[in-house]
Amino acid sequence: MALLGGQPSPEMLRDLLCEVIDPEIGINIVDLGLVYDVRLSADGAAEIVMTLTTPGCPLGGYIEDAIHDTLWGTPGLTGLNVQIVWEPPWDPELMMSDWAKRQLGWR
Amino acid sequence: MAAAIILLFGGLWEGLVYLGLPLPAGGTALHEDHGQLMVLGFLGTLIALERAVALGAAWGYLAPAAAGAGGLAVMAGLPGSLGEMLIGIGGATLLAIFIAVHRIQPSLHNVVLAAGAACWIVAAALWLAGWSVSRLVPWLVGFLVLTIAGERLELSRMTGTSWRARMLFVGAMTVFAAGLLAALAAGPAEAVPGEPVPAGIRITGAGLILLAAWLARYDIARRTIRGRGVTRYMAAALLSGYVWLAVAGGLWAGIGQMADGPAYDAQLHAVFLGFVMSMIFAHAPVIVPSVLGRPLPFRPLMYIPLALLQASLMLRLIGGDWAGSTSAWQWGGSLNEVAVLLFLALAVTLAARSRRVARAAGRRRGAGDRGRPPRRAVRRADARSAAGPLTPGE
Repeated sequence: MALLGGQPSPEMLRDLLCEVIDPEIGINIVDLGLVYDVRLSADGAAEIVMTLTTPGCPLGGYIEDAIHDTLWGTPGLTGLNVQIVWEPPWDPELMMSDWAKRQLGWR
Repeated sequence: MAAAIILLFGGLWEGLVYLGLPLPAGGTALHEDHGQLMVLGFLGTLIALERAVALGAAWGYLAPAAAGAGGLAVMAGLPGSLGEMLIGIGGATLLAIFIAVHRIQPSLHNVVLAAGAACWIVAAALWLAGWSVSRLVPWLVGFLVLTIAGERLELSRMTGTSWRARMLFVGAMTVFAAGLLAALAAGPAEAVPGEPVPAGIRITGAGLILLAAWLARYDIARRTIRGRGVTRYMAAALLSGYVWLAVAGGLWAGIGQMADGPAYDAQLHAVFLGFVMSMIFAHAPVIVPSVLGRPLPFRPLMYIPLALLQASLMLRLIGGDWAGSTSAWQWGGSLNEVAVLLFLALAVTLAARSRRVARAAGRRRGAGDRGRPPRRAVRRADARSAAGPLTPGE
């Protein structure tokens, strides 16, 4: 998790996001395939582009708060914006990691 | 939210009066409309609020506002069916929320959720038309069961449910819906002793059993029960709820009618307390933070009200309704309420404490570094465009 000139890298932020866990499933949002993109501006502001399993998902607020709590205090991070998108729609078959699938009993 | 809490307390009070405890009755409306107030007033407001928050559009908040205000109007005994109409508007707005979600991203589970909202509207219409609770109660159950089933179907995608599994779900739901329609076709008249009983309730019960079997087989709770902490707690609450759903289905299918008495008490509370309340206990750790914006950290203490709910409901149904002991029925029913209040008290305490802890942590961090990065408003992009490529350091 080396810092690039005092700034976190998108890869590092993505690693940190593995600590944001969907409480009901017990699996993190990265392995669930919900995080589409992690961008970082030159001044150290991060933008997380992600989706939810469905647009009516009541967990949205919970996940967004958990992201802020997890990334809060990351050295060099000057701002944080979570953007929820619906395109492409979340597809568990294509987007969930093999590990997550095994955890949930996919055959 | 405040309206929902007042409605909960009103409903609980009347529950105690109904159990025959020596308490002053809370007025005619509270007594006669205990079921509608608990399901459409209290839970309707909460569910609509949760959906309005998820959609994030200002107009969506009309759904919980109308349902909450309508419930309070009914409770206060305002004349002219104003309360019933407001509750109906709440249901219609909830349906509009699901239509809005469908336009963003169509899905089977959203259709099931919308069907649940449609049941709310039918229940409110029958209530306005003067049907008795025992005749419109299948639609109250329809609202809650379809709402929960839709959510579980959505989550089951994570376990890689096959096309066949989804078709089995549709089959169970079709049986359930056919039962509701058959019960509706039988009309508002109460069952006459000696006359053949219409088949609606039996078919609805069969639908509930099929759904319970589907959930037991395909729901993620079967996998997540092997997890830890909050995940395991939620799974335990969900699985106990599914057992009660099967019990309720058995009672509905076996008894075949809704008429006052111990059987009716068991038919209603197996589904409303056993199934629905277990679902609420299960989801509170994620719904409270989403709706109120305050964390509700999990504590193993949460198992206590959950276990009390299950034990007291068994006492009420087996000792009271089945064996005919009035004291078992009253103790069971009162302890049902103790379980609900205990859970509520625990949730309020934990949420308040976690907030203080978060504040203290904020002060500590703020002293040493620049603190939490400024939180810009979270944008719920209406734009359907795909996310761009990874652009570090752009």
